[in-house]
Amino acid sequence: MRVFSFLVRRVLPWSLALLGACTDPYMPEAVTSPPSYLVVDGYLNPLGISTIKLSRTFAIASKATPPTETKATVYIEDEAGTRTLLRESPAGTYTSAFLTLNPARKYRLHLNTLAGKEYASDYVPVKITPPIDGVNWQAENSGLSIYVNAHDATNTTQYYRWETDETWEIHPVYSPSVEYVGNAMRPIVVSFPSICWGNTHSSALQLFKTTALTQDVVANYRLRQLAFNSEQLHVRYSILVQQHALTKPEYDYWELLRKNTESIGSLFDPQPAQLTGNVRCLSSPTDLTLGFIGAHSVTEKRIFITPQELPSNWHTLSGYETCQPPDTVSLYPPPPAPTPAEILASTFNPATGLLPIMPIYAATGAKVLAYTAKSRDCVDCRTRGASTKPSYWP
Amino acid sequence: MQHIYRAIFALCFGLLCLPGYGQQAEKTITGTFTRLRFEQFATQVEAQTNFHFYFDPKTVDSLFVTVEAQAQPLRAVLYKALQNTNFRFAIDDENRVFVTAGAAINPTLPGEFYDAKAAGPGTALADDPTEAGTPGRSHLVSASEYKVYEIGGPGSGSGKATLAGHIRDQKTGEPMIGASIYSESPNIGASTDPFGYFSLTLPVGRYDLKIRGVGIKNTKRQVVLRGDGKLEIEVEEDIVTLKEVVIEAEKDKNVSGMQMGLEKLDIKTMRQVPTAFGETDILRVIMTLPGVKTVGEGSTGLNVRGGATDQNLILFNDATIYNPSHLFGFFSAFNPDILQGVELYKSAIPAKYGGRLASVLDITTREGNKKKLAGSGGIGPLTSRLTLEGPLVKDKSSFIVSGRASYSDWILKQLSDKNFAQSSAAFYDITAHISHEFNEKNSLYATGYFSSDRFRLASDTTYHYTNQTATLKWRHNFTNQLYGVLTGTYSHYAYDVTTTKNEVTASQLKYAIGQTGLRADFSYFPNARHTVDFGASSLLYDIAPGSFTPLGAKSLIKTNILGQEKALESALYASDKFDITPRFSVSVGLRYSFFQALGPREVYQYAPGEARSEATIIDTVRYASNKVLATYHGPEYRLSTRYSLSDNSSVKASYTRTRQYIHQLTNTASVSPTDVWKLSDNNIRPQVGDQYSIGYYRNFKANTIEFSIETYYKTLRDFVDYKSGATLVLNHHIETDIINAEGKAYGVEFFVKKLTGKLNGWVGYTYSRSLVQVNAATTSDMVNGGNYYPSNFDKPHDVTLVGNYRFSRRFSTSLNFNYSTGRPITLPLAKYYLGNSLRVYYSDRNEYRVPDYYRVDLAFNIEGSHKVKKLAHSSWTVGVYNLTGRRNPYSIYFKSVNGQIKGYQLSIFGQPIPTVTYNFKF
Repeated sequence: MRVFSFLVRRVLPWSLALLGACTDPYMPEAVTSPPSYLVVDGYLNPLGISTIKLSRTFAIASKATPPTETKATVYIEDEAGTRTLLRESPAGTYTSAFLTLNPARKYRLHLNTLAGKEYASDYVPVKITPPIDGVNWQAENSGLSIYVNAHDATNTTQYYRWETDETWEIHPVYSPSVEYVGNAMRPIVVSFPSICWGNTHSSALQLFKTTALTQDVVANYRLRQLAFNSEQLHVRYSILVQQHALTKPEYDYWELLRKNTESIGSLFDPQPAQLTGNVRCLSSPTDLTLGFIGAHSVTEKRIFITPQELPSNWHTLSGYETCQPPDTVSLYPPPPAPTPAEILASTFNPATGLLPIMPIYAATGAKVLAYTAKSRDCVDCRTRGASTKPSYWP
Repeated sequence: MQHIYRAIFALCFGLLCLPGYGQQAEKTITGTFTRLRFEQFATQVEAQTNFHFYFDPKTVDSLFVTVEAQAQPLRAVLYKALQNTNFRFAIDDENRVFVTAGAAINPTLPGEFYDAKAAGPGTALADDPTEAGTPGRSHLVSASEYKVYEIGGPGSGSGKATLAGHIRDQKTGEPMIGASIYSESPNIGASTDPFGYFSLTLPVGRYDLKIRGVGIKNTKRQVVLRGDGKLEIEVEEDIVTLKEVVIEAEKDKNVSGMQMGLEKLDIKTMRQVPTAFGETDILRVIMTLPGVKTVGEGSTGLNVRGGATDQNLILFNDATIYNPSHLFGFFSAFNPDILQGVELYKSAIPAKYGGRLASVLDITTREGNKKKLAGSGGIGPLTSRLTLEGPLVKDKSSFIVSGRASYSDWILKQLSDKNFAQSSAAFYDITAHISHEFNEKNSLYATGYFSSDRFRLASDTTYHYTNQTATLKWRHNFTNQLYGVLTGTYSHYAYDVTTTKNEVTASQLKYAIGQTGLRADFSYFPNARHTVDFGASSLLYDIAPGSFTPLGAKSLIKTNILGQEKALESALYASDKFDITPRFSVSVGLRYSFFQALGPREVYQYAPGEARSEATIIDTVRYASNKVLATYHGPEYRLSTRYSLSDNSSVKASYTRTRQYIHQLTNTASVSPTDVWKLSDNNIRPQVGDQYSIGYYRNFKANTIEFSIETYYKTLRDFVDYKSGATLVLNHHIETDIINAEGKAYGVEFFVKKLTGKLNGWVGYTYSRSLVQVNAATTSDMVNGGNYYPSNFDKPHDVTLVGNYRFSRRFSTSLNFNYSTGRPITLPLAKYYLGNSLRVYYSDRNEYRVPDYYRVDLAFNIEGSHKVKKLAHSSWTVGVYNLTGRRNPYSIYFKSVNGQIKGYQLSIFGQPIPTVTYNFKF
């Protein structure tokens, strides 16, 4: 119903302006004083480290980061009552040691908050995720597509979820020789990094089920599409695919969550659904809890793509196209003019966001007439990634 | 010369020559009498007239009279004055007035002519004020009232005979619909059908048949019935909406009619209701009736007794209208000038109708003046309209053509804002109707309707939609007791959305639905106690469910076309209305409907036990052209019964089952022009509804005040609801986004209607609930955990007042009041971080409500002078819509602004909207 939703948002305002239509803020009490429900994010890993993040729901109009739930006692528990404690670090994130859970048993997450409330997820069976058969990519007309392949010869996995983690190399176009520190220009002491690594973890939910197929096979499920000129492909690109085997209820949960995320609740958008999960508050059942805790292992596979492998007619962007040429900050503009010191002070400050790159000397002699300069984003690649080389990077 | 003599004779005959019948040119009474002792009152009246009062001073010493009269005959004045007392009066031939306590005396000799005529204020007198030969009354009509018609050959024995014929307007020749003709003793009556036709079976003998109808002056015919025969009746139109008109029309229908849950409105009543744009709007008036709701004021989507907007069968002269709105629903698609009236069936739906669950809205047009060329029109703030009508062959055939167009486009152009100037919004509609009477037995009717809406936004997208319908109807009278109507209909609705600004993405989205139907309906009146209706119908649907195509050579849009859908829906029905005793009658009906979805089509099959999604498609089956791919059929029961508790109260009950094979797909809160209609097929089952209702009806004050309570309980099966995030446009596997929902609705409706006197109107209160349950096999498809939740249009409390106060015949004022509980809404309550992204936590579906709705409108109607003969009759309507300027929310939406999600409410009519409309008629 995109069409009509558009219609309503764009057409009604004008057609109604004629009629005395008006828009007022609408924030009913239910929205301004939102519930503070516990959010449990993560899964139990039967073959590795389990990470659970605890936070709280917060107001939709808030700009803050989600409030974390700290100092809770969190443990993994099997049906026999055997417990394994998770430790908190950093605040709100609870991790276990490397664990091996018994696939024949059912497990749940059990926790007590600092406020004394007790929560537990449903007992869930352990699923061992089959290995990823391959992650491959293809250059197509529209760009680059990345596919995943998997199968389970025992036909027991059936429900899959993937997460992707992408990393790419960034080469900034400037390497400044000067810096402006303490109201003075000086030769740079610590150079800006010459390479950074951009990274994003997928927020899109990638789900597939093989229940309609005669075999439990995932063939070329497309996880990612990149434009043919994508800057991520400019130097070297890597994608890590993490595969989760899900139970049917967990799959249903994620599918609904995916659909819910697509709209934000205008009456003209599709109806959203309330969604909670399998975690419940034992001490006060009316307290809703959000999140679904499943127990499954994770398998992963990483691939690299370099520009040499791409079709020769693909011209990827560096991402710094708009950064060239550099600006010039003249120290001696036509009078009346401030002094060079004043010019430097008014140019290179956090408000302008400009950084000096190099001096421009007079044709004769060493007198600095001007400096080249550009915004921090063009100069410092740490605005776009981290300067520490990831361990897996070749 | 001869005709003058005839006229004089008629005048004489009608007005003077029957003094015994009280039809003298009696002097009228004018004045205001407030708490006057009766003796004084009598003296004053005697001074004004040639009447003489006779009474016992002792019995009337405590009688005070409070009455207001404006050139009214004495009978009417006395009736009014004495109606709440135990005093009765009688008037004899010599203008003697006898006032007695308790029973009226009978001042005349017993006899057929005098038959309780002058006794009042009992039931008989209630009609009298209009029967008096008022000045200006047509001589012809008056004359026919006193002629004795002999029906059937002489000496054709005893037993029963059937009298049939038409009731027509004497001036225009148009049939009078829903007029009643009845004999008071024995109490047997009939009412006219949409052709003005009636059939009345009576024991042979002599009768005074009374004729009452909407917008006509009351009249009567004296017949001596000896055998089967015909009686053509011409009646006079009442030029101005008089208080009598509407009362008498449906006088005791409320109590004595068989039908329950039927709302009948004539155009005259509708004209009194103020609207936002000064133009009479049929759907808006319908919305003021109990049991009818809408999600927003800018919407013409009707929700009848907890039914969805697609569950109303909207018929315009028998052709289905798929989108009854103009300009986003601010106007209804029907030009008021051509309308005759509307009937809304909300509980007991006659077996003749089917195909929708909740209601039938039967809109009929006028037939056109059969005697002379005439016209009417109106000029409003956004639209103007013009109607022309006249005879093709005098008294045999007539035409009526009516058009309406908006000039909102022109207004937009005048605005200085560039965005407005680049936008456009225009609509028009044209209706044409022709009727022809070949002979007594055969008549033909044809209607054509076309409407078009086009609007372009400040951006580059143009929306366009059209409705087209055509009806051809042939009516044949086999005998007096049996007639049949053969109707062919065609309906077509299409929309397109065109984007042209960017050459690369220039595209057109199109949708169309066509429906061709043929039906045969028969009515048989074997005797006075039975009315049998039977017939058959068939509808062929042809839907182009959507195509998305590039426009222009440079467009890179990929063509996306959904496969055609076709289906045949047929039905057989029969019903019998049986008056078991005069007090107790039943109507038993059965409709059996068949539905066949036809190829060519490709149909997906899904893995059983799994939520339907692209991933669970296990097979695709191809069906060849006209191969049946799915069949559904089932009975639809239509039962209703009435028991009269007394002359002015009754109890009625009904049970109705309905089946619906076509579904409107809309998951927006209100109806939008781009909603699509989808046929049932292998994956989408038909909807089935059952409604049980019972009601109590009572009329007060000689049928001038109608009161009713109706309560109903309704269950709905397999109506469509949508999964979260459903895509409805251009979806090749729409069934994956649809779920079959169950529903229940119940409520009680209180309704008081007074359509007489200076103050008239109605007040309705409804308490109703409408609940939905989606308890799918798979949890991911469940809504609200599989529990019942309020539907989008569940508004429990609803109070409506439509009032009209007539200061004089030329000046009146109308007031609307409407209150209802706010509509349910799903709110985003909070946000949270999960699975590496920010998510929104929503409340249960429809857990909260928008603020209550409240609105008052006021209008003044000023009629031109009432000279019967003048060039044109004109009237002005000046009104204010939303007088208090309350900002009722039309839509509530949330949008993300700089990472914060904020809520807004949009009010369409956020301030008082004044309007002026000029109407004329010539």
